[in-house]
Amino acid sequence: MVKRRDYHAYIYLLPALFLMGVFVLYPVMNTILTSFKEGYRFLTGSFLLFSFENYRMILLDKIFYRAIINTSFIAFVCVPFSMLSALVTALLLNSIKRLKGFFMTLFYLPQVTNVIAAGMVFALIFNNHFGLINMLLVKVGINPVAWISGVGIAASTELYMASYLRCLFVLFVYMMWNGLSLKVILFLGGLQNIREDYYLAARLDGTSKWKIFRKITVPLLSPTTFYVFITSVITAFKAYSQVVALFTTTYGPAGDNSKMMITVVGYIIDALGSYLSAGAVSVASAAAVLLMISIMFLTAVQFKILNRWVHYK
Amino acid sequence: MKERQLHTIFYVILVLTALLVLIPFAWMLLTALKSEGEALMVPPILFPKRPMVSNFILALEIAPFLSYLSNTVIVAILVVLGSTTVTVLASYAFAWMDFPIKNILFFMILGSMMIPQEMLIITNFMTIARLGWMNSYKALVLPYVIHAFNIFLLRQTMLQVPNDLFIASRIDGLGHFRFLRKVVLPICKSTLYTTMLLSLIWIWNTFAWPNLVTTKDSLRMISNGLSNAFTVNTGSIRYELQMSATTLVTIPLILIFIALRKHIFEGMKRGGIKG
Repeated sequence: MVKRRDYHAYIYLLPALFLMGVFVLYPVMNTILTSFKEGYRFLTGSFLLFSFENYRMILLDKIFYRAIINTSFIAFVCVPFSMLSALVTALLLNSIKRLKGFFMTLFYLPQVTNVIAAGMVFALIFNNHFGLINMLLVKVGINPVAWISGVGIAASTELYMASYLRCLFVLFVYMMWNGLSLKVILFLGGLQNIREDYYLAARLDGTSKWKIFRKITVPLLSPTTFYVFITSVITAFKAYSQVVALFTTTYGPAGDNSKMMITVVGYIIDALGSYLSAGAVSVASAAAVLLMISIMFLTAVQFKILNRWVHYK
Repeated sequence: MKERQLHTIFYVILVLTALLVLIPFAWMLLTALKSEGEALMVPPILFPKRPMVSNFILALEIAPFLSYLSNTVIVAILVVLGSTTVTVLASYAFAWMDFPIKNILFFMILGSMMIPQEMLIITNFMTIARLGWMNSYKALVLPYVIHAFNIFLLRQTMLQVPNDLFIASRIDGLGHFRFLRKVVLPICKSTLYTTMLLSLIWIWNTFAWPNLVTTKDSLRMISNGLSNAFTVNTGSIRYELQMSATTLVTIPLILIFIALRKHIFEGMKRGGIKG
């Protein structure tokens, strides 16, 4: 090694460390602190006392539970399905030669599309009157569905649930489309990292294709699979603009005032939006702390499991 | 089943998937070209009779769309320049220099990747407000200049530069900075482009932060402008103009991506997960 102690390194690191301190480290500390301040006023910085009041308020708030349910739906329903379709797509891509680059480019397009713009397009595709989906339904003789509609939901629980399920479906379709890109590329990278020799040896032994897939591809791909799962779940925990794009900042179809489709980050942003009223910012902080704890927990689980059962190259 | 038949099935499935991915783009473009009457037809029609290219100009007039666009481009350029500089310097130090508390600092950077942006938004908002930076480019740019994942990604790639090159460049009398510029950066070009695109996507999509720190319409960025100007719940929405606007927002990034796609895929693969 030629490397020797080099104090110039601090000059190289100075900009990164400075920005990190101001915009990452200090905010984390401060947000944790703020989350315990009761009756915190943003403008004056005054508060009554340190307590768990903000956490208590959140845990008693119906909307927060709605946010958790919707966020969990994205993380634990949408993510597995989009992983499965991404894995199949990557396997297919990996076994063809011609047009591979072309398909990869196509599949990557949703990733470089503005989230708000894409959400608007999906809202229009599912539009009750002018949407593509209803047009196709009518063509095959099915009655059009009011996909994003809150008509009559305030009066009837049944209608509310029906409307909610339809909105979840729209969100699901959007998340499938939106989530495919990155996962396909990551899976493809993982597949290409598996050494050819294993396949060659198996083929020489006359192993069947299905068995090769199960005994070689699946175990050797497991680190990638796990990495994709955890990062996707973490991204899903932070879902926000997707929901705003589909359902606007009221987090629901027109006619809904229960914030039907709100997510945890939506909850934080909402509280932050009314920063002038006492306690709002500290409630937002407490929700953010809960979010960070769940993300850290997931990351810890990732490291633990990666070390234990995932096969290494 | 024969190998060839199997491959045909593979291609059929891939083409179908590709079509599903492309449908939203197609619907966006087709709607963008419809006339006002055609966009409101029930049931809707697929193709406009006469493509209304003028919709794009109308969409630009409805909202100060050009100003949203130019704001986003200015912020994007500043962020990409700043963030690339900061990232390159930091990842070089982590990859090729040795200094006290190096590991502690690196783990700090790694750890910060776990922290959700939303956790930071609250205090950063207070910081910006107290500094009196509301409604300024500084507020829009600075928090995005630090990008922990990019530092991590680029450092991983820089570590793969052979040590012999470092020794050779030392013998030739090159210091760290020239070694970085003449040897390391050219080798890490793909990853560098990847980090730039990641920053760019980040800025292009960013929604919550600019919404908080800008109140003036003249400083709005594209996502916010788009959502404010074209999703008004009251009255009727001009869908064809909304879609023209989304088309205008979508195209620049797609073009940049297509131009850089070889590097992006390469960079992702290299920086990707290792077993």
